[in-house]
Amino acid sequence: MPTRRVKVLLAKPTHDSHDRGVRYLMRVLRDAGMEVVFTNFLLPRELLGVAVQEDVDVVGISSSSGGHMPAIEEVRALLDASGMGQALLLVGGVIPEDDLPRIESLGVRRVFGPGASGADVVACIESEMDRRES
Amino acid sequence: MLSEDGLRQSREAEAKWQEDFARIARRFGVNPDEHRRVTHSGIALKPVYFPHDLERDGLDGVGAPGAYPYTRGLYAAQYQLMPWANQPVIGCGLPEHTRQRMDYLASQGMVGYFGSRFYNLVYDLVSHEGLDPDHPAARGRIGQCGMAVYGKRDMATLFEGLDLTQMNVVHITEYQTHPAFAQYLAYADERGVPWEKLRGNTMNWYHQAAYVGNSCFPPRSAMKLAVQLIHFCSRRMPQWNTTNFFGYGVEEAGATAAQEVGIMLAAGAAYTEACMRAGLGADEFLPRFGFQIAQANDFFEEICKVRALRTLWAIQNRERFGAKDPRSMHVRIHTHTSGAVLTRQQPLNNLIRTTLHTLGAALAGVQAMEVCGYDEAIAIPTEEAATLALRVQQIIQEETNVTAVSDPLGGSYYIESLTREVGAAAIEVRRQIEAAGGYVRAWETGLVRAMVEQSAYEWREGVDRGSRAVVGVNKYVTDSEPPVPTFRVDPEAERVAVERVERLRVERNQSRWKAAMEALHREARAFAAKQIEDLDGDYALIETLVEAARADATTGEMMGALKEHLGWGPVY
Repeated sequence: MPTRRVKVLLAKPTHDSHDRGVRYLMRVLRDAGMEVVFTNFLLPRELLGVAVQEDVDVVGISSSSGGHMPAIEEVRALLDASGMGQALLLVGGVIPEDDLPRIESLGVRRVFGPGASGADVVACIESEMDRRES
Repeated sequence: MLSEDGLRQSREAEAKWQEDFARIARRFGVNPDEHRRVTHSGIALKPVYFPHDLERDGLDGVGAPGAYPYTRGLYAAQYQLMPWANQPVIGCGLPEHTRQRMDYLASQGMVGYFGSRFYNLVYDLVSHEGLDPDHPAARGRIGQCGMAVYGKRDMATLFEGLDLTQMNVVHITEYQTHPAFAQYLAYADERGVPWEKLRGNTMNWYHQAAYVGNSCFPPRSAMKLAVQLIHFCSRRMPQWNTTNFFGYGVEEAGATAAQEVGIMLAAGAAYTEACMRAGLGADEFLPRFGFQIAQANDFFEEICKVRALRTLWAIQNRERFGAKDPRSMHVRIHTHTSGAVLTRQQPLNNLIRTTLHTLGAALAGVQAMEVCGYDEAIAIPTEEAATLALRVQQIIQEETNVTAVSDPLGGSYYIESLTREVGAAAIEVRRQIEAAGGYVRAWETGLVRAMVEQSAYEWREGVDRGSRAVVGVNKYVTDSEPPVPTFRVDPEAERVAVERVERLRVERNQSRWKAAMEALHREARAFAAKQIEDLDGDYALIETLVEAARADATTGEMMGALKEHLGWGPVY
């Protein structure tokens, strides 16, 4: 078990109205004992500001309206540039299969598509945190 | 009303049925007293319904289609002389790409009322956010989930050669309603079409900020914008449908059918009260209100939800607001089949789901429909998926004979009973919201959001526990699935849209644009200080928006002014 509470930032673009999944996930992660911060963002740098300030272990980006790729690319670059490259990066929402290779190449550990269970997200985060502890 | 004999016979029939059922249940090892099924809204169902179930709550008969309180439908003839309108949502890429899809679907038989063209057009994410395509946050989002239409010139590309007076255009916006509408009005001017001849819809969806997470104007500013638009159209554009109550978003965000109805009744009451405070009479604006309602998986409850909404809206508007015109009591419904219950897994199954949703909406007797593409959980629908979605409507309309009879389910003991039960549950939701200070207050405090979110949580827990079956997700799961084609917005769209806006900024009449934007800032500042009561006949903000559109201001520039003076930000 990790020695401190895992801190997760969940973030969604302001213009993406499909937030049912990410809001559900907030509750699931909290119920699993994690500390969860949620923010909407217009520009990726806003998200990064929160990530740095809160010193989070995990960054989860939710997108269900398309157009996610530039945001994911920029978040990756910004995390690396601000010494947060080690944060576990996850993506969830409606992401076409064709985008998966590129997203994986950006160091996104998992992409949780429609129907994915909250328990899977919890398990993914916990196993990664355990691996880092040991 | 049943006679005393009829009532006795009905009760006896039920008692006899219970004996038969108990015998069979025990054979299956089921205790008949513990056998319970509930709807998605949590309403306990009887295992069978009888005539005496219609006697509860003092219901005097079931009424007639086309007669108050319209439980059985708004019109006596329902679909017999004219079926529901096909209203697929269209919008992707540049305006010319969207126009291509409009023309294609029209060529495939998409038709509105009286044979006219209906175009249900959705704006893209950049427009929704109130930005221009060259804003850094627009990257990757241009023409996504909607059309890249940012100004009068884009309108011209979209509607070139079409007779604006012979079609119905729905502008699906988020909170850029006013600027997008102003662009359409300015474009109509350019075409020489008087505004009062335009037909269509503005969404006026400000109320959805209570349960949808996009950035928005603060509730009090948002309500003023909504009221001003309604007031303006009621007086200047009587054919225009001003407002769409977005029940769809409520249920898609996770709410139950009863919550969808209850929350929409409360939102409708808040808009109605506000309009009356601004000096409108009930019958001046209520006939131009409409609804977008979800049709999801609980087949009968979803049908009964529609019937309950029709009933309760009619009663609310007549009893509470004194409406006299039957059109003021009508719930004109655009059904949008549920996207949230579609699955990425085994995507062709979604065609079966959408077919059931469409059939349900047809049996409920709604006015227009958008059927989801089967690939909705993957991307924007491909042309093939959009065509199949239209075919679902056409097959049900033309091959099944379900349009032959008005309210085909009317009088079913079950349907009529469940209609009343869903209605009672919806009334309770409305009561909770109004007891907490009304819809606007419940929006500010997050009460509406909390109601919806709790239901979403329970739904998902049911899926995870397996008590709610989702084929392909928690049942009958397959390891590998053949890939389905995925729609892609033209990769050139982004570059072209940016080029166009850059060219527009150079080519437009600078002094006219500058003057129009200054006037807009002045009016937006003044509007911020106004009260709802001040808006009786005050259309200054809309007029300055239209002038800005005439001067080739972009929707993003106009939204910039509104955001600056009215406030703007994430809802939570």
